[in-house]
Amino acid sequence: MSHVVQIKTQVRDAAAVRAGCSRLGLDAPVEGEVKLFSETVNGLAVRLKDWRYPVVFDLTTGESKFDNYQGRWGRQGRLDEFLQAYAVEKTKIEARRKGYSVAEHRLADGSIKVSLTVGGAS
Amino acid sequence: MKTIDVVVSPVGATRVETNGFTGDQCRQASAFLEQALGLAQNERLKADFYKTEVRDQQQARQSS
Repeated sequence: MSHVVQIKTQVRDAAAVRAGCSRLGLDAPVEGEVKLFSETVNGLAVRLKDWRYPVVFDLTTGESKFDNYQGRWGRQGRLDEFLQAYAVEKTKIEARRKGYSVAEHRLADGSIKVSLTVGGAS
Repeated sequence: MKTIDVVVSPVGATRVETNGFTGDQCRQASAFLEQALGLAQNERLKADFYKTEVRDQQQARQSS
């Protein structure tokens, strides 16, 4: 049988964050205390392109903290792009861990499809 | 062939779709991804879910 599940991405894996940064040509993420405009937060900080402050991920809760001043200090699209890269890299990491073969395709609407063949060699 | 397709939208939302599994295997097969990626929001069973179940039951009766 077959089924379809919709998932809201949560960022919880440092290795996939690193892979996502590498995929987009961003600097490697930095763990620790980060000052945003009005608060100081802890987590894994990613510097998105053209963003004034980093996005900080709490890997325990999967939540992110950032201050882009409603888009004036950084476009939401850059964060969306990172979340897409993260989800793709996380899928590939998990698939390889299981020994499944992986193929990746970009679709016309900008989505990225990762196909896992169960039982195939990686 | 058993496949799992993961489609990640431009805003980072993910859709996991299983194909070619029998019985309850599809849920078991994709559970690791659903847990790894985030929060499952909804599940939809595809048409062949029901067809496969009926065929499996008939095969089970014939073989018993």
